[in-house]
Amino acid sequence: MTPPPAESVAAMIRSAPMPPDSKTNRDLLAVMKGASSGYWLLLGLALFFMHLAGGIWVYQVYKGLGIAGYAHPVFWGVYIVTFVFWVGIAHAGTLISAILYLFRAKWRNAINRGAEAMTVFAVLTAAQFLGIHVGRMWKSYFILPYPNQRGLWVNFKSPLLWDTFAISTYATISILFLYVGLIPDLAIARDRATGWKKVLYTILSMGWVGSSGQWKAHNRSVLHLSGLATPLVLSVHSVVSWDFAVAIVPGWHTTIFAPYFVAGAIFSGFAMVLTLMIPVRRIFGLEAYITDYHFNNMSKFILLTSIIVGYAYAAEYFIAWYSGVEPEQTAFWLRAFGPYWISTWVMIICNTVLPQLLWFKKLRVNVPFLFVLSVFINIGMWFERYVIIVSALSREFNPATWGVFIPSWPEMGILAGSFGFFCTFFLIFLKLFPIVAIAEMKEIAIHDKAHSAGGDH
Amino acid sequence: MPVLLGIYDLPGQTAGAVTQLRGRGFTDIETYSPAPFAEVDDAVDPKPSRVRLLTLIGGLTGVVTGYAMTVWMANDWQIMLGGKPFSSIPPFTIIAFELTILFGGLLTVLGLFVYGKLPKFKLDSAYTARFSAEEFGVVVRLAERDVKEIDALLREHGATEVILVES
Repeated sequence: MTPPPAESVAAMIRSAPMPPDSKTNRDLLAVMKGASSGYWLLLGLALFFMHLAGGIWVYQVYKGLGIAGYAHPVFWGVYIVTFVFWVGIAHAGTLISAILYLFRAKWRNAINRGAEAMTVFAVLTAAQFLGIHVGRMWKSYFILPYPNQRGLWVNFKSPLLWDTFAISTYATISILFLYVGLIPDLAIARDRATGWKKVLYTILSMGWVGSSGQWKAHNRSVLHLSGLATPLVLSVHSVVSWDFAVAIVPGWHTTIFAPYFVAGAIFSGFAMVLTLMIPVRRIFGLEAYITDYHFNNMSKFILLTSIIVGYAYAAEYFIAWYSGVEPEQTAFWLRAFGPYWISTWVMIICNTVLPQLLWFKKLRVNVPFLFVLSVFINIGMWFERYVIIVSALSREFNPATWGVFIPSWPEMGILAGSFGFFCTFFLIFLKLFPIVAIAEMKEIAIHDKAHSAGGDH
Repeated sequence: MPVLLGIYDLPGQTAGAVTQLRGRGFTDIETYSPAPFAEVDDAVDPKPSRVRLLTLIGGLTGVVTGYAMTVWMANDWQIMLGGKPFSSIPPFTIIAFELTILFGGLLTVLGLFVYGKLPKFKLDSAYTARFSAEEFGVVVRLAERDVKEIDALLREHGATEVILVES
């Protein structure tokens, strides 16, 4: 070959006919293009609930926590229940992206981005409840160890402080994890976007070109972040469970709270992944990427964690009886047959009985069934936290101070608003960022291509 | 010095071309991959990424900070709580653990920036959108007299196209 003259070379590479874009890019970037009226309707609904909750919250700040029904004996009501619920939801994202990564479970590739985004938004939703819950939220910075004139420091022996560190670490690491995974995909979007989106992706992708040095550092970073996030995810919900288990309230005596909460968190998180990804797959036609195989595997995880959660429920009752501690026994008797019996049975049926249907392969790949089941599990897991927190607190040490807690309208409004907040961010994410990890899907596509080409790769 | 760019469809071909180029003594080689393929990255540079060093430093800083901060603060203004010692190691371990993860994670991402040479303010001249589709690129800087020979070498490994990027 005779090399072309120097001056024409740069022009040549730019004008060289581009081969058609790869199918993976086209399919997965199509999700981000345009928006149907249904999308705007959903976004509008989510924004409405988010702002409704904002309004209620302002009103609550003005009037005080009394309007949220905070009165003796239950000072930890729906806000703390919902906080634990959202932290739990967050866990499946890290499980899918970190733990399954370490186990080299390739099937995670199709769902990990959606799950990671869900994690970030769920943690952010949860974190707000700490502010909402502490009436004078303008003083919530008291929880941080900062130098002050009084020379006082925070109490590091309190589970609430552990929570501060666990949740803020978790939020930071999940945001980093999501972002690091996104960088190669942002470069893909950058190369194909125009206008303001091009500017956005150019800044966010930071000049990623997929060179060997970049991939090497990227692979290593993802590996290390996974290694760090795996113990982190186990610690976060353990710490949340210690908010309760470290206290001496009857009903919170069992020592299995930490593993019980972690299993419950993964269980509810997987259910939420299904609740989100089933409509996403349907609306954006991603059937080729998120397949029966993925649903089958996720269902197995749900079944496994459901059994662990069921075991924990049984162990709690058994230990309450076996311990011979009367207040604990009373707490558990009242849990099942006292004023909160409905919540308890909703929790048991949704979390341990219904998921047993997943023993049938036919149902594990039946998408409409999985969607309905996942919604039931979400409801059941919210009630689980409600039962643990409210039923225990309302029946504390002295029977004379027992009371019945009924959720107030501001609490329910803010609970609805938390879904609005979460959905708003998830819906915006869907349109701005690839919801399926494109580079990772390509890794599989190219592997397959290499195999069918018959050569080594 | 001229720069040649070979375009490939498969990671195996890419790695093969790079290995042979390195065997021939070329050192200024770069590849572009649409997805992570260890064989390609290792062909360019077999040494493991040094991100791990930064993760280690971050983790160690975190654990030391966690214990030092909690023990110092508990003793700076001593308040007896539940009859426990001022420096209670078991609860402080939780703080130390969380900070190990936090600092380790932050420095891991810093490692990605340092060793992945990010952010990069100008994309390489040889880079095109083809490499964020499904093609691989091998870029090699070489002497004028080698152009013809290396062009043939790149094609031998299955290059669908060879482009002279700079001359």
